[in-house]
Amino acid sequence: MSQQIDAKQRSYVHYYCPCPDVSKTNNNTVEDEEEDIIESIPDFDVNSPRLHFSTFPISKLYFCEDCHQIRCPRCVQEEIVCYYCPNCLFEVPTASVKSERNRCARNCFQCPICQNTLTVVASTELPPPQPSASSNSSASTTSGAPYYLSCGVCRWDSQEIGMTFEKATGLALQLQKTEDERPDVKEFDHLKDHFEKHLRLSAPSTTLPSSLLSIPGISSFSNRYGGGGFTHPHQKSDDVAEYKTTIKIENDDNLVHDLVQLKDVNQITTLTQRMNQLSDQPYKVERLQPQRIHLRTKRVKRCRSCRHILIKPEQKAQATRFKIKLVALSHIPKITITSKPNLVLNQKTEIILKFSNPLYEEIIVDLALKKDETTETNEYAQITLLAPHFNITPFNEVWEYDEQDFNISSKGRPSSTASAPKSDIGIYERRGNYTSVIINITPLAEVDELKFPLLVTYANKVKDNNDNNETSGDAPANDSSTAAETVSSDKQNTDADKPNTDADKPNTDGDKPDTDANKPNIDNIDKDESTPTTKSLFFWTVIGLGPVVNQVTAKPLPPTRSPLTNNNSNVAPTRTNINSGKA
Amino acid sequence: MEPPIVYYPRSEYIETDTGNKVSRKSVICGSQNIILGGKTIIQTDCVIRGDLRRTGGGHAVVVAIGRYCLLAKGSIIRPPYKTYKGIFSYYPMKIGDHVTIGEGSIVEAATIGSFVHIGKNCVIGRFAIIKDCCRIEDNTVIPPNTVVPSFSIYEGSPGMFVDELPECVQDLYEAKTKDYYSKFQSKDS
Ligand SMILES: [Zn+2]
Ligand SMILES: [Zn+2]
Ligand SMILES: [Zn+2]
Ligand SMILES: [Zn+2]
Repeated sequence: MSQQIDAKQRSYVHYYCPCPDVSKTNNNTVEDEEEDIIESIPDFDVNSPRLHFSTFPISKLYFCEDCHQIRCPRCVQEEIVCYYCPNCLFEVPTASVKSERNRCARNCFQCPICQNTLTVVASTELPPPQPSASSNSSASTTSGAPYYLSCGVCRWDSQEIGMTFEKATGLALQLQKTEDERPDVKEFDHLKDHFEKHLRLSAPSTTLPSSLLSIPGISSFSNRYGGGGFTHPHQKSDDVAEYKTTIKIENDDNLVHDLVQLKDVNQITTLTQRMNQLSDQPYKVERLQPQRIHLRTKRVKRCRSCRHILIKPEQKAQATRFKIKLVALSHIPKITITSKPNLVLNQKTEIILKFSNPLYEEIIVDLALKKDETTETNEYAQITLLAPHFNITPFNEVWEYDEQDFNISSKGRPSSTASAPKSDIGIYERRGNYTSVIINITPLAEVDELKFPLLVTYANKVKDNNDNNETSGDAPANDSSTAAETVSSDKQNTDADKPNTDADKPNTDGDKPDTDANKPNIDNIDKDESTPTTKSLFFWTVIGLGPVVNQVTAKPLPPTRSPLTNNNSNVAPTRTNINSGKA
Repeated sequence: MEPPIVYYPRSEYIETDTGNKVSRKSVICGSQNIILGGKTIIQTDCVIRGDLRRTGGGHAVVVAIGRYCLLAKGSIIRPPYKTYKGIFSYYPMKIGDHVTIGEGSIVEAATIGSFVHIGKNCVIGRFAIIKDCCRIEDNTVIPPNTVVPSFSIYEGSPGMFVDELPECVQDLYEAKTKDYYSKFQSKDS
């Protein structure tokens, strides 16, 4: 929810993952039959409600190197590699996760009133001490003092419900007996036993990973919905013997009577409190119990199409490193809007999009608003891409270090500005591993949020022997022209594409790009990593620019910049050019 | 969205040899007990209480802050205290690298890891432990003794786990803090 509201207020660039639409057959007819690759790019509607579920900020996306495609949280598969308690950070062996009901079996409890983490307190000590401290100190000062749980936020303590502990450690164990005797827990265990018996009989083989198998219900689910191969007819799962409850639910007449008599709303539990109480969801505050804290997991993430691992965290619960980390941020160009545009109705505004190249190779970028269009006028706005075609110099760690001399470097880096003089129209800035381009927008309607689609196609050359002159003199210019042709001809005519790719790839077959061009979802021009070649990829993005205001109401706009900003004259291109009518 | 270049009056900030930028309008108590890792920015009206150190004993580090950290306007760093075995004492605080502490936030944590973003107007309670790669949203209150595990987003009062951070958060926060530092520039006024 909050994300949606945020998105409307701020400007953003979201990347589109086509995975939810892949199964949908696309019947849109394209006027120009000869433009094969263009035809294969599916239509894109920025106002579609589906977009909420298929566009993401780049930080949430992955990149499958084998499929050469963006992967989003919806098209990766997750496998749990480690369970841990988010409070004590102890790892819980997979084998005992089930029996502990996915909760911490140590000393970690959640306040039943405010859901804060509870601390263990010795009843005779006056100030609430550290949980670790209390075990040592109070043992010496007050022998045999019982301990209780206390909430540092709402001041609830477990003495209120008569819950005390003999020792300050292993609290969950001390509670085990009472917990096991609770009617709801008993009933659940009974229910689980009942169905597990059946599951063991009906699901002898399955393709699910063993960690998932340990969760009752998953395997039968997969059988029903096609996950684990249809070895059993559907009827089998209905053959469960009749279930008889062990516990009779108490007559709730008394409860109803009590609730009717209530005069103070605070005497009954809130919805959140009730939902946090396992299966018995009491209305009365005094029946609330502290709950053991839910475990969290570390997961491996796989590409759904090719099953290759995209994310593999280190096994240890507290480690934050990854053994495999194929995130989009380090594979595809990152697009940022450099300053918040103030969009005024019928006034031409420049917005600057900054494209950063995370790769160690130069990339060539082509932009389009729709199919092959670089200008578009619709009911909301008139949009013109001033620089639909440009290159970005490779990523280089060295730049990170001299970025501190921000002002000087913007003038004093000859390599970048000199590299491609011919395509400088619409280029706002070239520096380091990024290129900023100008887009002209004239809003034509007063809307809460102006957004437009942007089709980004980029190609990068994988280095080969003929192409190893990395010096920043004229090499990038050369590079850009050859690789640029490859890309642009890709878009126009596949026949013209052949000689070019042939020249680039001395020993691969020339018609391979043809077939691939027709299937953009398997946009894998060359699978052999060692062969020098041009790799290209396209993806849709949604550029959100915030609200359009009418000129009359434009002046009292709230200041959008952070109050830290004393002066930002250098970075406000949007306002200065409003009336200057370029292009 | 790209953050803008921030200019500060040259006379307001002291720049150390290691690139730390400390506002003269901040209150730094017990500076001999404070370590700044380098390229860390301490802005106007910040308070760091390096003077609140363990009773007894000699020279000790009270507040250790890593590299590329940002203590935004009016944030307060105060070492945590407790009474242990009847003795009241302050305990040291450690903050990792690439940590942003938002405007007006009060921090009394025991440890803050690296790659952590703390929003505006937050209260980080005594002896809270915030692990690496975390985000605390604006106006959040983290109760005393809370442990915030890695890759968590906490929000609310009391601060609760609301979401996970993406795997690339380390790169994001590193880039963000470096970018902020490079764009935090002096200007003669
Ligand atoms: Zn997807
Ligand atoms: Zn625990
Ligand atoms: Zn509470
Ligand atoms: Zn894949």
